[in-house]
Amino acid sequence: MLTADAVVKSYAAKDAAAPVLRGVSLAIEPGQFVCVVGRSGSGKSTLLNILSSLLSPDAGSVRYQGRDLAAMTEAERNRLRATDFSMVFQMHHLLPYLTARENVLTPFLSGLRPVSAARRRRAMECLDRVGLADKAKRLPGALSGGERQRVAIARALVTEPRIVFADEPTGSLDGDTGTHIMRLLTELNAEGLTVVMVTHEPAYAAMASRVITMRDGSILHAA
Amino acid sequence: MNILTIPLRNLRRKLLRTLLMVAVFSIGVASVTALLELSKAVGESLEEKLAAYGANILVAPRAETLSVSYGGMALGDVSVDIRSLAEDTTLAAITGIHHQDRLSAVAPKFALLTRVRDTPVGVIGVDFDQELRIKSYWHAASGELTPGDGQLLAGAEAAARLRLVPGAQVDVSGTPFTVAGVLGPTGSGDDAMLFADLHALQRASGQENRVHFVEVAALCSGCPIDEITEQLAAALPGTDVKAMGQVVKSRMMTVDFVKRLALAVSGVILLTACVMIGLSVFSSVNERKNEIGLLRALGYSKSAIFTLMSLEGISLGLLAAVFGQIAGYFGSFRLMALLDLGTAAPVFLPAQFAAVFAAVALLSALASLPPALSAARIEPSQALVML
Ligand SMILES: Nc1ncnc2c1ncn2[C@@H]1O[C@H](COP(=O)(O)OP(=O)(O)O)[C@@H](O)[C@H]1O
Ligand SMILES: [Mg+2]
Repeated sequence: MLTADAVVKSYAAKDAAAPVLRGVSLAIEPGQFVCVVGRSGSGKSTLLNILSSLLSPDAGSVRYQGRDLAAMTEAERNRLRATDFSMVFQMHHLLPYLTARENVLTPFLSGLRPVSAARRRRAMECLDRVGLADKAKRLPGALSGGERQRVAIARALVTEPRIVFADEPTGSLDGDTGTHIMRLLTELNAEGLTVVMVTHEPAYAAMASRVITMRDGSILHAA
Repeated sequence: MNILTIPLRNLRRKLLRTLLMVAVFSIGVASVTALLELSKAVGESLEEKLAAYGANILVAPRAETLSVSYGGMALGDVSVDIRSLAEDTTLAAITGIHHQDRLSAVAPKFALLTRVRDTPVGVIGVDFDQELRIKSYWHAASGELTPGDGQLLAGAEAAARLRLVPGAQVDVSGTPFTVAGVLGPTGSGDDAMLFADLHALQRASGQENRVHFVEVAALCSGCPIDEITEQLAAALPGTDVKAMGQVVKSRMMTVDFVKRLALAVSGVILLTACVMIGLSVFSSVNERKNEIGLLRALGYSKSAIFTLMSLEGISLGLLAAVFGQIAGYFGSFRLMALLDLGTAAPVFLPAQFAAVFAAVALLSALASLPPALSAARIEPSQALVML
């Protein structure tokens, strides 16, 4: 479904001798719950962002359903992000001046046509799914950290994506809240959603169907 | 909810800045509107005054001694040897000049001295249609202002002296005329005169197709009076063509100058306002780079981001276009009262409102173009830099 082939990445030209990713290859199949673990600075986030099309590799390729992301047109990559891919960031990344419900609807606010009733219903369903239907009208500032992250997950679900990429979604949360979010993600995965998640909590990694361990820009161990 | 939601919410969040921008832009639009109204009204009020002033070009036979202005003139002195022009060719020449569209009235005159109850009185044959255009101050004290073929109008003084009332009979060179109306006092030479239809008077005196002088009114602000005078002189050899009233000319130049100044000042104010809108959108883009990156990561296209940021500027502009025009319109009332422009008043023209509205929309779109373009260049990876 999503494959990386000999991906090399460095952030600055002068660091090209010691790249952040040194030829990473992997294949993610539909329905998997992949956890990327490893020490801080080992290149987990970089790999995730390259897989999710936010960064492009210096060498090697990423293919989604057989198609090289680099060979896609700008419009195709936009569509991919709008439909098949969804992202949950470490910090919630909500727009502070939109309510929870409006934040969930953000992916649909790029056109002149008003958001359809079906989509508005879908947004409420997603909020309900993360247990926040009663806080739909609140601004992010009036929500707790865990609640914001759940709104962000609802926003990632509203487009009915195939793959959700999450970079330490529980990183800024306390244990209980983190566990709650992990349970939510495993439930969604059980319903067929492919999840690619970066974490350094061994307990969370244990809940995944597949664990990839990174060290110094390479995959040390893939299970 | 659609693509407008994000820019509008953002404007609402930055309410103070939004209000400030709208206020500044409104001031620009208001001054443009007020200046537009003012220059329109100044032009109108001047044209009103000019119309009251009467004709401003006089076409008469070349004669050194003949003073044709009947204000204070004894027509009797010259009536014996008064020279005349051929009506048909003279009028054809006048209305055939290059600037013919600038001529608002061409009023031929035929002057005749007659006696009514043994009192000498001047009768002027006029084309009432044209005459009334330059004699906007004429009004009927009794009877009516538009005499028919065998009728005449009596000046206030003449009527008093000859005891003429509407319906009275007057004999002019053996032809009977009926008084149709008596003019109210005008304070001009007209008061002592009788006015009959040009052709009826020509027939009565047996001098068909003769006129003694022609008054021409070229009454528009910014009229090229000198050129019109030259063209008339060239078309009418053997006649005297005199432009009357240098005052008129200089006032017309003033109006022209005021209009141009208004335009220039408005332009500068609007330009400043545009730059401010552009800067506001720029700072909005800079503050929200990460937010824009996030939207790109959520699948927004470059053109959606471009539209989003442009709409922010255009919304500011449109708000200012409405408030500014309302303020400018009512402001111009005060301004005109202050400048003592008399009866002149601002005129609300929906077409002008729409034109200014559209122009401001275009200007604010142009002003937000550079920041919107730079926003569209922000990459989705910018979302990763957030916080
Ligand atoms: N935007 C960036 N610019 C330069 N260096 C970066 C950037 N992002 C990450 N790095 C470097 O790349 C390496 C890998 O980072 P990252 O992928 O974030 O690792 P991890 O997520 O495993 O902690 C680190 O040494 C980090 O300093
Ligand atoms: Mg990381």
